[in-house]
Amino acid sequence: MTTAILGLFDSGMTLSSMQRFLFMLPLCLSIAVVYKTTRCEQLSDVPVAAGVLWVTIVGGMYAVGLGLWILFSIAV
Amino acid sequence: MANEQQSTMVRMPISALLGWIVPGLGHIYLGHRGRGLVFLVTITATFWTGVAIGGVKATVDPQTRKLWFFAQLCTAGNTAAAYAMHRSIVAREARTGVTVPKSFWASVDVGVHYTGVAGLLNLLVVFDAIGRSEAPSPVRVRGGGQQGDRGDP
Repeated sequence: MTTAILGLFDSGMTLSSMQRFLFMLPLCLSIAVVYKTTRCEQLSDVPVAAGVLWVTIVGGMYAVGLGLWILFSIAV
Repeated sequence: MANEQQSTMVRMPISALLGWIVPGLGHIYLGHRGRGLVFLVTITATFWTGVAIGGVKATVDPQTRKLWFFAQLCTAGNTAAAYAMHRSIVAREARTGVTVPKSFWASVDVGVHYTGVAGLLNLLVVFDAIGRSEAPSPVRVRGGGQQGDRGDP
């Protein structure tokens, strides 16, 4: 059992470019949850506040990516 | 008044140290049990997800990723466990001659980002614990809530 669990961390996964892209989402969620847990006065406010922050981060990053892509398309 | 000040002087370093070793433990020590558990689960899950994606040998590597290792060190307990695993794999490779295959660079990149961000989030949590150590411990009220829980550190 222990060997099986440790084996999980021995060698990494093979990710496609789409999977790499999608792995950004849980990382952003983790950042949003931790940040909002430090800021919210009541813990019950955290889920909604973290959700809103998560959408803002992901939306902002997509917007920046789209903007850079458009700029790159025009310039090159 | 002097007693209160002395209490803060003791609570501050202890909560910071506990929080540095185990994410959220500083908050649990200060009486913010719910907050501490959220930090413990979120940061630990983020860190070990990163290690599983990139592989422990390539992800927690102070030789080739020095700056990222410093970021990972902000969550000391997780990094110590992962580094012990890294060392044991290297020792096993030297003993048996069988090398663990290196992960794909893109996976290692994602893994390193996850573990590094987990460390930096824990740094934020440690500072939050230091801020909260100046306030009195929250008073538990009926219904499982906490009173006197400050929002801003």
